[in-house]
Amino acid sequence: MNPQDLTEEQRKELEEKLKKMSPEELMEFQKQQCIFCQLISGKIPSKKIFEDDTCIVILDINPATKGHLLLIPKEHYAIMPQIPEKEIKHLFTIAKKMSQLLLKALKVSGTSVFIANGLVAGQKAQHFMIHIIPRKDGDGIFNIEERLIDNEMIEKVASLVEVKFNELMGIKKEVLEVKAEEKEEHETKEEKEIEPEEKESEDETEDTDEEKESEDETEDTDEGKESEGDEKESEVKAEPESKGDASLDDIANLFK
Amino acid sequence: MKCEHCDIINGNSKAKIIFEDNEVVVAIKDLAVSPGQVTVFPKEHFTILELVPNNILEKCANLANKVGVAVFDGLAAQGTNILIKNGLGANQNVPHFSIDIIPRREEDGLDLTWAPKQLMEDEMETALMTLNKELDNVLKDNKEQETKSDEKVEKQGKGAKKEKSKEDKDNYLLKTIRRIP
Repeated sequence: MNPQDLTEEQRKELEEKLKKMSPEELMEFQKQQCIFCQLISGKIPSKKIFEDDTCIVILDINPATKGHLLLIPKEHYAIMPQIPEKEIKHLFTIAKKMSQLLLKALKVSGTSVFIANGLVAGQKAQHFMIHIIPRKDGDGIFNIEERLIDNEMIEKVASLVEVKFNELMGIKKEVLEVKAEEKEEHETKEEKEIEPEEKESEDETEDTDEEKESEDETEDTDEGKESEGDEKESEVKAEPESKGDASLDDIANLFK
Repeated sequence: MKCEHCDIINGNSKAKIIFEDNEVVVAIKDLAVSPGQVTVFPKEHFTILELVPNNILEKCANLANKVGVAVFDGLAAQGTNILIKNGLGANQNVPHFSIDIIPRREEDGLDLTWAPKQLMEDEMETALMTLNKELDNVLKDNKEQETKSDEKVEKQGKGAKKEKSKEDKDNYLLKTIRRIP
């Protein structure tokens, strides 16, 4: 099950097998390999707290703290951007209920609601999930310090993110924000299709070999580091690109 | 009470708003985990997750997802963390609910992991039982709250009593989570 546990030979064999698969077969293969899909179908037992039509909530067997919950959509998604809007909304309302449950039942002084998209973000399973972690002062989890960001950096980040964000929201001019927001659902799709040049170039790179996305995006400083991901990348590059969004699927595909 | 997020909404902050409508704000804050962090929060001052009405929460969640996609593209991120710091115990440092979207790259020096615990089987069982016991109450609570907020919309101004019981509940939650500075 765990790619790290395979011998070199087995790994190569698996790689070959994966290369020959059609996107559909590969998706199916992924689901079969997914522990969380098996937890959902009941093939693997779990400590279930809650279940409805779209998701389940179980206790993490290797929790950060006692009562650590995993909220998992029943459908197999690797990362959050693949999930339909309606489901995301639903998942967050369930996360709210579960957070409340932890506060009440365990009498903790806080909860962390945490999502990791992508290997570099600490995602460990290839099935999207929301962690809801009971927290107490000084429990040593998420020791992240906030720091002051200078104005120049704020402006830079804002301009880079804003352009993409507005594209996604279907906003043409800032003045039209509110109206545009209401129409977002219809417009997002169109926007995606006429997405910018970088995507195409990424698609090409992916087709030819496992050289990763990187450079074409923005003035980013640590491009060199990406080569480390090459090996992993090669194993999974034949995966289905159903969303037609190269950079996102790259993230999703970083799992072996 | 001083609230950095309300300050952002009122324009008294170095943060930059990249999107807002009458209910929610998307901003780049001047105090963040990493320079690419984007924060989504409701305009109304809700302290913690549990107090945010579902419709507003859903809107925030959807925006957070969109921001996540935008930072993949715009900042060439290789991954994202989405984090709600809920309550003092979770290091919530602004008393105003928010969702942080943190773009990630390899070797960016951020540590958002934890040491997994190996609990004994009976400890897991106790946790399961404790949570299952309380679950019905929480679900019932939520249902009541939802109906209540529906009613509130329908006949505003009436129902002072209901208002009060909602307040009690809020207080309870705030107490549970301890005062946020």
